[in-house]
Amino acid sequence: MGFRRTFGSGMWAAVLLCLGTPSQAQEQLPLRPLPPGKTVFVLQPHHDDHTTDHGMGGLIARFVDEGYDVYYLRASNDEKDGTALPAENDKINLREALAAAKVLGIKEVINLNWRNDYTAPIPLNELRAQIIFLIRKYKPDIVVGHNPWEHYQKNPDHRNVGRAMAEAYWMAGLENVHPEHFLLGVQPHAASYLIGKARLDWGLGHRPNVFFELNAEQVRRKQIAYHTHRNVYANPATARAMRAELARLGLYLPEWEALDDQEAAVLMEAWHMEWISRQRGRQAGVEFAEDYYFMDEFDHLPGLKAYLQQHVRTP
Amino acid sequence: MSRSTLRFFAFWLFGGLLAAQQKVLVISADSANLVLSAGGLLAGMARAGADVWWVRVTNDEKDSWKLAPEETALRSRRESEAAAKLLGFRQVIHLGYRAGELAETPFTTLRDRLVIFIRHYRPNVLFIPNPYTEYDRVLDRFYTGRAAEDAWRAAAIENFVPPFTHLGLAPHRAGEIYYYAQPLDPQRRQAESTSTFVPQPKVVDITPMLETKIRAAQALTTSNEAMAQALKARLETTGRRLPLLDTLAPASIQKLVEENVRGLAKLCAQGTSYSAAEEFHYAGVEFRIPRKYRE
Repeated sequence: MGFRRTFGSGMWAAVLLCLGTPSQAQEQLPLRPLPPGKTVFVLQPHHDDHTTDHGMGGLIARFVDEGYDVYYLRASNDEKDGTALPAENDKINLREALAAAKVLGIKEVINLNWRNDYTAPIPLNELRAQIIFLIRKYKPDIVVGHNPWEHYQKNPDHRNVGRAMAEAYWMAGLENVHPEHFLLGVQPHAASYLIGKARLDWGLGHRPNVFFELNAEQVRRKQIAYHTHRNVYANPATARAMRAELARLGLYLPEWEALDDQEAAVLMEAWHMEWISRQRGRQAGVEFAEDYYFMDEFDHLPGLKAYLQQHVRTP
Repeated sequence: MSRSTLRFFAFWLFGGLLAAQQKVLVISADSANLVLSAGGLLAGMARAGADVWWVRVTNDEKDSWKLAPEETALRSRRESEAAAKLLGFRQVIHLGYRAGELAETPFTTLRDRLVIFIRHYRPNVLFIPNPYTEYDRVLDRFYTGRAAEDAWRAAAIENFVPPFTHLGLAPHRAGEIYYYAQPLDPQRRQAESTSTFVPQPKVVDITPMLETKIRAAQALTTSNEAMAQALKARLETTGRRLPLLDTLAPASIQKLVEENVRGLAKLCAQGTSYSAAEEFHYAGVEFRIPRKYRE
């Protein structure tokens, strides 16, 4: 029998590094409260974008806990994400997206069904028009999604939906934009806050400017929402490969002993979510957190921000 | 002689030396962004003798309050010409693209149209919206900046749009380029990674031209009213108020615009000895000379 060591919790991070290193060194950013409002629009191209490590599962759970209505607008049909044929992937991913949304407390999932990974050649103004209509219908105060200005964004769906979002969230408030919508009973409405997330495992991504604190329960729901996407995550083959690699190194994970490969894969994804939330929490000086680029309501008027801070009156 | 008078003459003299025989071509998506980002420096150049032409790509048709797009476009056209006159520009060329719709305009179509103007006016200096500015939510500026940047390169190359060459529009390269944007990007002051061949951050003193810039910005009354109305509405729906906007009269909107221009100038002057400034990314003649030789 070869030498074996217990692979304790302090070593989990090393295993998790194999799954992708999420972060570069970050400066201390402010922890900020949730922006005021009642309604949140999560706007993403894919079924899983809001639940991944670079997603916003914890923040969504917190919005729900603090009484906001959260709607999830899924722009693509996710036909390519998974090992099944496209139509089958589409079906499975929708089912899992609905289940994950339920875990987080999302009120409704709205599917636009644009073809997965083919948003580059679609008319961006048409995608934007659909988003504008839905913003006018649901009247969100806050829109969250991929940071449209992030760097090294290889996935065109993320970039294009992000760009459409960057204009839609404020243009929806303009009367001269798609006046045909008003025949359908909606009125101009602009969201006031934009929260952007980037895939930090693809490079520098963006430089976040805020942290939002999470509690343990919100992290737990984020973990479950993430590994609910079994079609693309928590794959038993990943756990199997990890077991083999650990065995080759003479190591084992005691937590995995009684688990089959599927359960082990789920646990591995849960560790990943907890680990990254703790990392962000450590950077923010709290137990758990997520980081974002937050655009405040008057950030588009940089010359007036100081003036408004000084002169706006709240009765 | 007061300090501000001295500064004015220094600016005038320095600007005059720089601007001698200068021809400046300005490309913008919308009117307000150009005036707010670069109006001070451009007014200084014009006052010092430069010829300034302004190619205005979109018609600003959506930037109004309770006004039809057609009427908005017409008023915005007149107001941009009034602003240009105040800044001392020679002419405004209106391309008339619909505001907010540039995502669907083929990149090369817009680029090649801009190539015509560069070859026709043969500017020494080009001003374009900075397409690398992050967190500017008006993406027309990104699309225009991207096309204008390529037009700058393409205008100098004979094999781009050869039919124009047959009309006598010979290739032309502008020696200097200013990328302009409002100070929205938190990383805007960071030096670019290679110091030799890429435009670098540059802060310009606009103190002597600040009042002119304010008047030019105030001339854009249609978009100014839209900004003030939207701000008032947002504050009211969240139970707040800005006393200045209690009565939305032209005078209060003008005051708001003045505060905006002064605020921008102050923000851009941070970290410098100037009291009012504008920020750019700039590449001049040294653009193609490695730093070690320049120094």
